[in-house]
Amino acid sequence: MTRKIFVRLALVPAISILATLALVSIAGAIWFALMNRTLRSPEYEFVGAYNFLRLLRDSRFFNALEISALWELITVTGTLGLAVLLSVLIYETVQKPLWRNVICFAFLVPVLLPRVAAAFIWRFMYSPSLGVINYLCGLVGIGPVEFLADPSLALISVAVVDIWQWGLFFTVIVLKLMETLPRDPIEAAMLDNARRWEIHAYVTLPMLKGPLVSLALVKAVESLRSFDLIFVMTGGGPGKATETLDLYAYQMGINMGGRISYASAMSLLLLVVTTIAFTVIWKAGKKWAA
Amino acid sequence: MGRVISATLARGLLALLIVVALGPILWTVLGAFKELRDIVTPVPKLLFEPTLDNFATILRNPTIRDGLLHSGVVVSVSVLIGAVLGIPAAHALARHAQRFGDDVQFFVLSLRFMPPVAIAIPFIVIYLDLGIYDTLFGLILVYLITTISTVIWLSVPAFERVPRDIEEAAAMEGCSPFEVFWRFSLPVAAPSLFGAIVFTFVLVWNELLLALTLAAQNATLPVVAASITSLGKEVPWGVINAATVVLVIPPLVFIGLLMGLLNTSVQSGRK
Amino acid sequence: MANITCSNIVKSYGAFPVIDGLDLSIPDHEFVVFLGPSGCGKSTMLRMIAGLEEVTGGRIEIGGTDVTDMPPGDRGVAMVFQSYALYPHMSVADNITFGLRRQGVSRSEIAPRLEQVADMLGLSPYLDRRPKNLSGGQQQRVAMARAMIKTPKVFLFDEPLSNLDAKLREKLRTEIRKMHLQLKTTTIFVTHDQLEAMTIADRIVLMRDGEIEQMGTPDEIFERPASHFVADFIGTPAMNFIDATIEAGHVARAGSIALSLSPELFPGLVPGQKVELGLRPASMDLAAPDAPNAIGGTVVLVENMGAEGQVITQVDGAEISFVTPQFRQVRAGETVHFALRPDQIHIFDPETGRSLRGV
Repeated sequence: MTRKIFVRLALVPAISILATLALVSIAGAIWFALMNRTLRSPEYEFVGAYNFLRLLRDSRFFNALEISALWELITVTGTLGLAVLLSVLIYETVQKPLWRNVICFAFLVPVLLPRVAAAFIWRFMYSPSLGVINYLCGLVGIGPVEFLADPSLALISVAVVDIWQWGLFFTVIVLKLMETLPRDPIEAAMLDNARRWEIHAYVTLPMLKGPLVSLALVKAVESLRSFDLIFVMTGGGPGKATETLDLYAYQMGINMGGRISYASAMSLLLLVVTTIAFTVIWKAGKKWAA
Repeated sequence: MGRVISATLARGLLALLIVVALGPILWTVLGAFKELRDIVTPVPKLLFEPTLDNFATILRNPTIRDGLLHSGVVVSVSVLIGAVLGIPAAHALARHAQRFGDDVQFFVLSLRFMPPVAIAIPFIVIYLDLGIYDTLFGLILVYLITTISTVIWLSVPAFERVPRDIEEAAAMEGCSPFEVFWRFSLPVAAPSLFGAIVFTFVLVWNELLLALTLAAQNATLPVVAASITSLGKEVPWGVINAATVVLVIPPLVFIGLLMGLLNTSVQSGRK
Repeated sequence: MANITCSNIVKSYGAFPVIDGLDLSIPDHEFVVFLGPSGCGKSTMLRMIAGLEEVTGGRIEIGGTDVTDMPPGDRGVAMVFQSYALYPHMSVADNITFGLRRQGVSRSEIAPRLEQVADMLGLSPYLDRRPKNLSGGQQQRVAMARAMIKTPKVFLFDEPLSNLDAKLREKLRTEIRKMHLQLKTTTIFVTHDQLEAMTIADRIVLMRDGEIEQMGTPDEIFERPASHFVADFIGTPAMNFIDATIEAGHVARAGSIALSLSPELFPGLVPGQKVELGLRPASMDLAAPDAPNAIGGTVVLVENMGAEGQVITQVDGAEISFVTPQFRQVRAGETVHFALRPDQIHIFDPETGRSLRGV
């Protein structure tokens, strides 16, 4: 009996606050999406599905959708690829625990940086006139590169910063996971005369399949929150070259125009798509990893 | 011979990686102590006369000072509430809720899937209507979504790692469920819980979008920092560097803690 | 001190009953062992008596009081866990005295009691240490001290020795037994180790699939197993089982084997009846080929156990083993004869597995 009271007291406040806030934001988004509300005027009326229909004819929306998908793809694969490569490299070449710890500490620093700070640091380094990277490029004879102002380079340049933060962080995690693996299968493979890379390709990494799938999911969720980085580094530009969905929704809803209803419709679509995608991937991932 | 060469190559590569990891930050720290003329040089300067002007500029600037203060208040209050409400909830989920526990946990997790814009846009209108737009209270309220859900998400495994026998032994000695939680589960899980709180702190400290949307005068440090670019005519690179350094310090203080959290969760995750 | 009565206990997880209508009564001062293979419900029974597991149906009484719906702390029982469950953030002394301090017993009263149990279990030098700085055996003793200091009505032990090495296990087994002789507290001890159960128990409750298969003293369980399952579970090396048919004159025949049975013990046998014979290796020994009840077999393997040896023989294509001190004279490939007295033969119904003794 007291147990039930305790469970109720412990759960109810936290869960009811979360549920209220989540419900308010979702209900709010649905409500505003059906209106034609703007920040400028307090008057609004019901317009039904008008905002959603307009979205379907908005080429800038589809551009943002494409950029968002591209961003997810580049950052998730880049992060995991880098993490796997580097962790295998460190596992093979650094044996002393002290040095491994030093590397792990160094690799943890970038992810702790506020995204705004990381964005500034790299914008400074990317700068064509006074950035270190362009100085190094200059030394090997490549003229000043407009990393953030060139539409074909901007998205990749920003993604590099994201991968710098998360790829190094995931390297530490994968390395720690490799250290906890049982030694027996690895030693069995060594007795079978497997080469080092074969051991990793066929023994260690397959044993880490489950954790790697979850890491990919965590990164995919995290990549959705890259507004800060892109906003500070490029603001979505040059042109619309780095304008992801959240950036476009922000520009529409708050920065220019304040077309709240239109932005609500957009964020609602984003919410539905991500919720469905992640619920499906999450459950499938659990099954696949198990 | 080939082994020696490849070993040296590998060492060199790793040294390079450490430079890539830490270099940008160190370069920024250097930049924070440079005068603008030492920054705007065709050849990057490693030796220069250090100056504290940039830091003085920031600390004298009322907007930045206020931003720091607002960040302090908003982050500490929302993390505190998140911990006070989230930790008991996590314990109840880990130990007492069998039937609905999984659903509640999935709900909490799904809040982490939610794109921040989807929260920001409805809330800006609701806040304007309620008159709590641009208040610290409003920011704290919306940050509770992040803090409570993150604290629960990270604390459930921490409580699951507490041996059930210990809690049962305490119950055998007559402890009520609350006493078991307060005197046994909490102290035993404390190190992991502390890590969870720190992680939550870092998340909220670093947050930009919600603060940018829901506050104007009362914004937090990331918002203020993000807007520095437009101070005056010239881009004040030294000041930007100094502001970045200030922004970076609090999360970095906790790096050792994060490492410990990582070690325990990785090890227990692969039993 | 108290007797324990469990009546018509039901425990289900969801719709699936693991224990269905179990009755058990334990007299005061008795040392009872719940024995059985894993998953037989013995730990669940113990945890229900402790109050850690809810009872789906039925009634539990301790010392005449109905405790079925009482929280564990109010039942006057103390438990020693398999993992010891010591509080890692408290010193040994605090671990032991936590329960008393919580009840508000005064310091002046706690101190002598702590001293007494610490002395008894040899823990006095370690009272200021943290549990993680103790060896497994010491941790086990702290767990026992924590249970003893409360002078409970009932002691519960949940496989307390299974995490220790063989030598220490034996030592602590003796200590627990000695402690019981001294304190005479009603005790329930759960184990899956039949040797441990035989050596420590006043009475054994042998469980299988949530039901009591047999309850009795170690001697009763060993000498008069009520079923095939009990006979097979108790005793090392394990009992030999042979399918046989009863012939006239109280003789059981299985191929070349013909054993005369005791008409007093098994009065109900009729010629032509199918039975299962149980022959304990330890009750048989080498014998002359013409001795009564002699069985002839070819030696397959001889296992040296020190003082004795187990000889595994092949008889009509099946393996039968027996134990003999003269195993050193036996070689693989030889033909040997061995025999046992009629009153040492166990007979079971091949359908139900129940013993046919007295039927």
